[in-house]
Amino acid sequence: MTDASAGAGRLPGTGHLLSAQVRYQLLLLIRSPRAVIISLVVPLLLLMLSSSRHSRLDRDTEDALVAGLGSFGLIVTAYITNAITLVTSRQDGVLRRWRATPLPTWCFFAGKIVATALTGLVSVAIAVAGGVALYGVRLTAVAAASLLITFGLGVLAWAAIGVAVTPLVPTAQSAGPVLMITYLPVVIFSGGLGPLSAEPGWLATLSHYLPAQPVIDAATRALQHTGGGLVLVSGRELTVLAAWAVVGVAASVRFFRWDPVRPRHAS
Amino acid sequence: MTVIEVEHLVKRFGGFTAVEDISFGVPAGQVAAVLGPNGAGKTTTIEILEGFLAPSGGTVRVLGADPRRGDRAWRARIGLVLQSTSLDMQLTVVEAVSLYAGLFPRPMTAADVIEMIGLGPDAVTRIGALSGGQRRRVDLALGIIGRPEILFLDEPTTGLDPEARRELWAVIQSLVADGTTVLLTTHYIEEAQHLADRVIVLADGRVVADATPGQLRARGGTPVIRYRVPADVPGGGLPPRLAHYVDFARGELMLPSADLTADLGELVGWARRSGADLTGLEVAPPSLEDAYLSLTAEPADSAKAHSHD
Repeated sequence: MTDASAGAGRLPGTGHLLSAQVRYQLLLLIRSPRAVIISLVVPLLLLMLSSSRHSRLDRDTEDALVAGLGSFGLIVTAYITNAITLVTSRQDGVLRRWRATPLPTWCFFAGKIVATALTGLVSVAIAVAGGVALYGVRLTAVAAASLLITFGLGVLAWAAIGVAVTPLVPTAQSAGPVLMITYLPVVIFSGGLGPLSAEPGWLATLSHYLPAQPVIDAATRALQHTGGGLVLVSGRELTVLAAWAVVGVAASVRFFRWDPVRPRHAS
Repeated sequence: MTVIEVEHLVKRFGGFTAVEDISFGVPAGQVAAVLGPNGAGKTTTIEILEGFLAPSGGTVRVLGADPRRGDRAWRARIGLVLQSTSLDMQLTVVEAVSLYAGLFPRPMTAADVIEMIGLGPDAVTRIGALSGGQRRRVDLALGIIGRPEILFLDEPTTGLDPEARRELWAVIQSLVADGTTVLLTTHYIEEAQHLADRVIVLADGRVVADATPGQLRARGGTPVIRYRVPADVPGGGLPPRLAHYVDFARGELMLPSADLTADLGELVGWARRSGADLTGLEVAPPSLEDAYLSLTAEPADSAKAHSHD
């Protein structure tokens, strides 16, 4: 067979494709009221509620609260919003259609993850700005850089897990419960919604190896940091987050499904 | 040049066999309709050709390649409209069309495609706010924006009202004029007849007919002579053999005719002798529907459902 017609015109370059995908995914997020509220409004609301509830907290507790709520917004965006939008796209047949286009698969996911990371970081920025305004949290340049690294790693790990979990969620309707049950305990026990007064030792140990605690701890240390010198995530935190990211990517590559779940009809 | 080749295709889902043994080839530029009742294997076949499903047996080639291994360049030459609408409801028509245009080496412009599907006035409307028929046209726009050499349409008009269906047909026909090869599945005979050069009829995972709509129609049965017998001519006035086919309640002769020349001759001879007025005499061609029903009917039912085959 002849390929004369196929030679007419080159396929678009990946830079162009990727930027179009990021724009597309951001557009989908911005136009989903649920995503906007959960990622951008809820963390700020929680921060305001906490600020009205506690008249006076010590500096360190306030820093921990802001770090926790920032992490909460980040994780909600990277995990819940990311997974729900993917499941919705899968259910609507949109993923199936993308798969049949000349768009490289990695480019679809890269666009999705970059858009998720940007939204997650905006969510964090809102929480931190709220912390600065409501609690007088001080943010040094070093602390800001540390936060960026911590949250950057955190958002990638959680986004990978969010993609990996989608095969377990049959429909967009069932996404809420499945995702809430998996993430809420992790976030709460890791102190994402305020420090815990008492928790059993085994739970504290477990939390160190789940992907929320490292983000919250590193962010807290960055905010509490006042002196000079670099404050980066610890080696253990880095390793835990990287391990979760690798597990998430590997599980996604192996188990990701593009097709909607449908009763297998006879045709 | 054959651009779609299907040879002894078999597809099983667990213990269920959706496609038993299907073979056909589609030359470039042809519009082929795969027609059949639900469960005949239409969607399974087209999904294998699109690369979504792997065959259990046999081979398929689309533009010379195995659809499961089609690379980017191959996919840029294929367009498809899936069985159900598959769109991002949050995007506007022009956003969706422009996004897809950016994927292909030599796409049509978004403006041209939107014009073609007749959604100019709704270009900046969110897809979620469009009617079902309009959404289906956006589906089609995304399928054709890359100027595909082959367009797969899986039941493109199922669930649309007759008007929306006709509008979609018009768009498909304008594409066909450009020489695009089209493979469509449908369970509407009218759709196959309207759009296709060729009809491949499936039943129970097998090809039961593969012909032009005309050939298929001819195979399906006999033409029918219809004549409203004037009120002043009692039915008994007709020659006895013809009178046998008069429906007295409606005062109409309906004669399935295996030999038109003889039957019409007899009717005209009678009219000449009796001076009856032949106004309203009509010869209806065999219907494609009859042909289709006789091909796809269960063997046990066919005898009583189709007395003349």
